[in-house]
Amino acid sequence: MSVLRISDLTIDYRLGEGSVRAVDHVSLEIEAGEAVGIVGESGCGKTTLGLSVPLLLPTNASISDGQIVLNGESLIGRSEEEMNHLRWKSVAFVFQGAMNALNPVHRIDKQILEAIQTHEPETSKDDAQARVLELIELVGISPSRAKSYPHEFSGGMRQRAMIAMSLACRPSLLIADEPTTALDVISQAQILALLGELRRQENLSLVMISHDLSAIKKVCDRIVVMYAGVIVESGPTDTVLRRKNGVVTAAHPYTKALMGAHPDLSGERILAPGLVGNPPDLSKPITGCRFAARCPEAMEVCRTQTPPTVTITPGHSAACHLAVRSAS
Amino acid sequence: MNARYFVRKLSTLVVTLFLTVSFNFLLFHVLPGSPVQLLARSGHYDAAAKASLTKLFGLNHGLLTQYFIYLKNMVQGDLGFSYTYRKPVTTVLGAAVGNTVLLVGTATAITVFIGIWLGVKAASRANSLTDTAITVTSLTLWSMPDFFTGMILIFAAGVWTHVLPISGIETPGLTVGWLGHLLDIAKHLILPALTLMLVNAAEFSLITRNAMVDVMVDDYMVTARAKGVAKKVIVWHHALRNALLPIVTATALYVGMVLGGAIQVETVFSWPGMGLLIYNSVEQRDYPVLEGCFLLFAIAVIATNFISDILYQVLDARVRNN
Amino acid sequence: MNDDVLRVEGREGETAPSSNRPGVWREVWRDTMGRVGILTLLGILVTIFLGPVIFPFDGQSFGASATSILQAPTGSHWMGTTELGQDVFRQFLLGGRISLYVGVSATVIAMVLGAGLGLVSGYYAGWRDTVLMRITDFFLVLPTLPLIIVLAALFGQSILITSLVIGLTSWPQTARIIRSQVLSLRERPLVMRVRSLGAGDWRIMSRHILPNVTPLIFANLVLVLSGSILAQAALAFLGLGDPVQVSWGTMLHNAFNSGAMSSGAWWYTLTPGVGIVIMVLAFSLIGHALDRVMNPLRRGAR
Repeated sequence: MSVLRISDLTIDYRLGEGSVRAVDHVSLEIEAGEAVGIVGESGCGKTTLGLSVPLLLPTNASISDGQIVLNGESLIGRSEEEMNHLRWKSVAFVFQGAMNALNPVHRIDKQILEAIQTHEPETSKDDAQARVLELIELVGISPSRAKSYPHEFSGGMRQRAMIAMSLACRPSLLIADEPTTALDVISQAQILALLGELRRQENLSLVMISHDLSAIKKVCDRIVVMYAGVIVESGPTDTVLRRKNGVVTAAHPYTKALMGAHPDLSGERILAPGLVGNPPDLSKPITGCRFAARCPEAMEVCRTQTPPTVTITPGHSAACHLAVRSAS
Repeated sequence: MNARYFVRKLSTLVVTLFLTVSFNFLLFHVLPGSPVQLLARSGHYDAAAKASLTKLFGLNHGLLTQYFIYLKNMVQGDLGFSYTYRKPVTTVLGAAVGNTVLLVGTATAITVFIGIWLGVKAASRANSLTDTAITVTSLTLWSMPDFFTGMILIFAAGVWTHVLPISGIETPGLTVGWLGHLLDIAKHLILPALTLMLVNAAEFSLITRNAMVDVMVDDYMVTARAKGVAKKVIVWHHALRNALLPIVTATALYVGMVLGGAIQVETVFSWPGMGLLIYNSVEQRDYPVLEGCFLLFAIAVIATNFISDILYQVLDARVRNN
Repeated sequence: MNDDVLRVEGREGETAPSSNRPGVWREVWRDTMGRVGILTLLGILVTIFLGPVIFPFDGQSFGASATSILQAPTGSHWMGTTELGQDVFRQFLLGGRISLYVGVSATVIAMVLGAGLGLVSGYYAGWRDTVLMRITDFFLVLPTLPLIIVLAALFGQSILITSLVIGLTSWPQTARIIRSQVLSLRERPLVMRVRSLGAGDWRIMSRHILPNVTPLIFANLVLVLSGSILAQAALAFLGLGDPVQVSWGTMLHNAFNSGAMSSGAWWYTLTPGVGIVIMVLAFSLIGHALDRVMNPLRRGAR
């Protein structure tokens, strides 16, 4: 059974007079034990998609269409109280812990303890505290540092603490949103290794949101490429990201451009030599392919018709007129 | 507690106090137009009176010597002699300071709670009708001069309905036991305290609201929501705890404001505190008393700032460790 | 939270915080509170400047008989009369100008001082910054109203001196706010580049920094203006107002001291009092709207 099934999800942000369609009829399924990476430039809707699962969108965002089904239960339309029961237990998050995702005025152990006590009020405080220490040890932090404040940790340790907290209620789905952004290269590698290890060890279902293809390649079985609010390509990581003797199997020109990209030194942006210009303005309707204006291989048909999603090989699909042509 | 932080703040406190005392000297003794200079140059005195004045204020000495005499007197608790009360300034202040502490203390304690509560309410439903109502009410109350708010309350509760006393701290000639006396003071306290509260709770709720709204968009608030923590806990435990830091800073500056308000409110309600003393000494041009009041007010604000610096450190581990 | 959500949320206001564009005022106008504030302010200005022209009452003449003292509002005295038999409405119209005049001139002084010190302090940083900010912090902790009262008691109470006294005590907060903005502006690539090209300090400050702090100065100006009007009212109420130039605060002083309240002459108290409240509220509403426009997140995203 699939852990998460998103179908036709559409999310709009209200901005002043107008609105921006950040996610446009996106469908996505995560199987139990699977690790899926979602990749794209900032502003492509990947974080919005992630936050929508536990219905954590900002108040100016609204889900205008579609379904979110988690462990067989439909989520849209549920009350805050109902959602609070599901949050962290059914779907937990790893935010950019290196940034400001941990509360600066509370100690680390207390923040993890809060997650346990919120969802398992029947667990005694001693048991809960014992679990906190286990979790902290599990992610490679010495239990003696459990009583530290977030600012006393390095970026990598904060991210480990964040991961420990995310596992506190044994969630059926873990969403890691840019878990390595703003970390130094060594910490990045350590965090990715930790996520990969925990994933197998705890049999986690994982969604990893990132703009860094190499990070996704290390951890995920499947990759989903988003551009301007839609999925443009998805398939097994090995297939989509394969590069052999200069030949790539990725079908979408956007994916190919991303593959030629590398993160800048701060790790906050991607520099893609193959990509010029900016993503389209999502507050206006777009005719044709969203990527056409930046696409080096754009054809006449790309500017007039929205490309359909075609299956290239089983499990690998892309929304591109080029793929349509080579398929037929 | 971090000792170095404490020592640094303590030395700032000492320097600021010293500067304040010196500023006071400059204002009241040196600047042209300052009372001492005016007295000395005034034509109303004969030679003998002038000589004794000169001696009294040490004007025959150089400015530096005068300054040291001033500092010495200050250290010995000698703030001069009141023209109107014909008593030492310290005695005059001593009689008034308790009443002001009673008024300002009561009002502030209640103000802080009401203000924070309203600000949190407004921020936790930012842009809702509740928020707009609280914000507009607060802005309106904030826009009212303290003395005008007091006058309206006098009208409403005193002149029209006669339910509460509108002047003084006690009913003259009332012979009741100590409990009755206490109740009588409490009754007199209600209107002036309420006036101060209305104006300052408004300010406080606006500060709290903005601090809260700033905190509510921080990343860790999303984490708390993702954890499934109930909204009430998020607002009071996660957000307010972080918003307290700017609130504490604002409180220190607020004390300066509430003392300004106390001058007006005590005048309107004839509450025999330092504010009324300032009003009377301005009217009588009793400069030594005015000087003493100003000095005491300045010290109160500086001391509160010091306390808020220390409190900030207790509240925020980041400051504590750096 | 991640950058792409913030980007979408913040897009509307993302250029507002630091650039001087006419859009700021358009957005204040779009904000309900801001619009109410602007309209109220226009109403006040029209009333106090055109009012005396349209209604040429004789405000200074004394009442002819005892009956014209503290009269309730009538057809000939719309807001009643004072303890000396003068027309309250006429005094109200003229008094508003004095309150506004003192408020505006004090604010101009405070702004020139505060913004100037903030600019210099933030731009040069280093020891000049340290010295200036120590001075600023000292004046920041001194209780403002008591200080204003002391200065007015020492140096006089004409409206000119009142403006000076309020202006000279109201700048520290502005200096602090402008300084911190300038500190971040001077590290901007554009400013660094212009400087490396050899542009003079004055040119960089006036061409590249000042335009970027102008909206901030305006937001602060509105607040200081409210505070100055309130301070003037308090001074006048405490008997430190200009005895010749009657302001709304002076009217309240006269009303209070003539026992207008205990004799039930509500019109004498309410008229100038409500005038102050409305004028200050108009500026406060505009200031609140400006704050929301410049800090889009303050609007409360969630």
